[in-house]
Amino acid sequence: MGMSSGGSKGATPNINVTPLIDVLLVLLIIFMVITPSKPTRFEAKVPAEPKPDQQQADIKPNPLTLVVTVNKSDSKIFLNKEKELGDISDTKPLSDELSRLFKEREANGSFREGTNEVEKTVFIKSPRSVKYGDVVKIIDAVKLAGASPVGLQIDDLSE
Amino acid sequence: MAMTVGGADEYNSEINVTPMVDVMLVLLIIFMIVTPLLQQGVSVNLPKEMNSPDEDPDIAKDTSVIVAIPDNSNFYIGKEPYPLDTLGEKINRLMENKTPDKRIVYIKSGIEVDYGTVVNAVNEIRKQDIDKIGLVADKKKGAPAQPQ
Repeated sequence: MGMSSGGSKGATPNINVTPLIDVLLVLLIIFMVITPSKPTRFEAKVPAEPKPDQQQADIKPNPLTLVVTVNKSDSKIFLNKEKELGDISDTKPLSDELSRLFKEREANGSFREGTNEVEKTVFIKSPRSVKYGDVVKIIDAVKLAGASPVGLQIDDLSE
Repeated sequence: MAMTVGGADEYNSEINVTPMVDVMLVLLIIFMIVTPLLQQGVSVNLPKEMNSPDEDPDIAKDTSVIVAIPDNSNFYIGKEPYPLDTLGEKINRLMENKTPDKRIVYIKSGIEVDYGTVVNAVNEIRKQDIDKIGLVADKKKGAPAQPQ
């Protein structure tokens, strides 16, 4: 293996970088695949715990607040307890109706009290025995329609 | 190094698979090492294929408080299980030094968990004067980013 420099049979001192490049490319691809999986979340607000000394009658109900409820027995979705909007397996009617409502409010200028923002608060009320996955589907649909903030009702939920 | 098969001028027509095997083995080993390290806390069957959750890099930070609910009877913070009655106290301790805008608790709940169980956890969280929670969900690949 003696290297004879100068002579006609002199070995050219080239490093073979191909395996190095192979491994580096693989590493690059791995990081490219891993990085885009950024964590995502839905932000939800929860009402403060009712204080025992607070007078319930003092709180004026907001006529613009929307409440989405889920029926336990047949998984149907209701908006403000009156309008039936599909069921958990298909939340499209819900998002469509909410988008329409928000557009209408924008046109009519139904603003949040004291501000010039359109009231887009939506509360979600679901029975306790509904699967969490289904509730998240509804949150997804509500969020898709542009609702913000999304609130979760915690008190007085049915089984 | 030339392998002479038959005639002297014939070329070797075999594919050399050794570098490929090398690379595959390296891949395998890297994934074997990295996969257990990447996982923080307990594994939870998160809701998938959602259209509109917002990205929040804070979820991956070590300082954020994440409550994991893999099934109906267990609540975890990190890898430690906490029963419901001590959960609030622990969250309160972890939240002590946070500025008001950082007071958010993330919930990683399995899709098979009853909503009532999640509500119980949220109830404990809000007793600590926290009104913001983040429900962690996986975004559908290719879903458009939502304007804030």
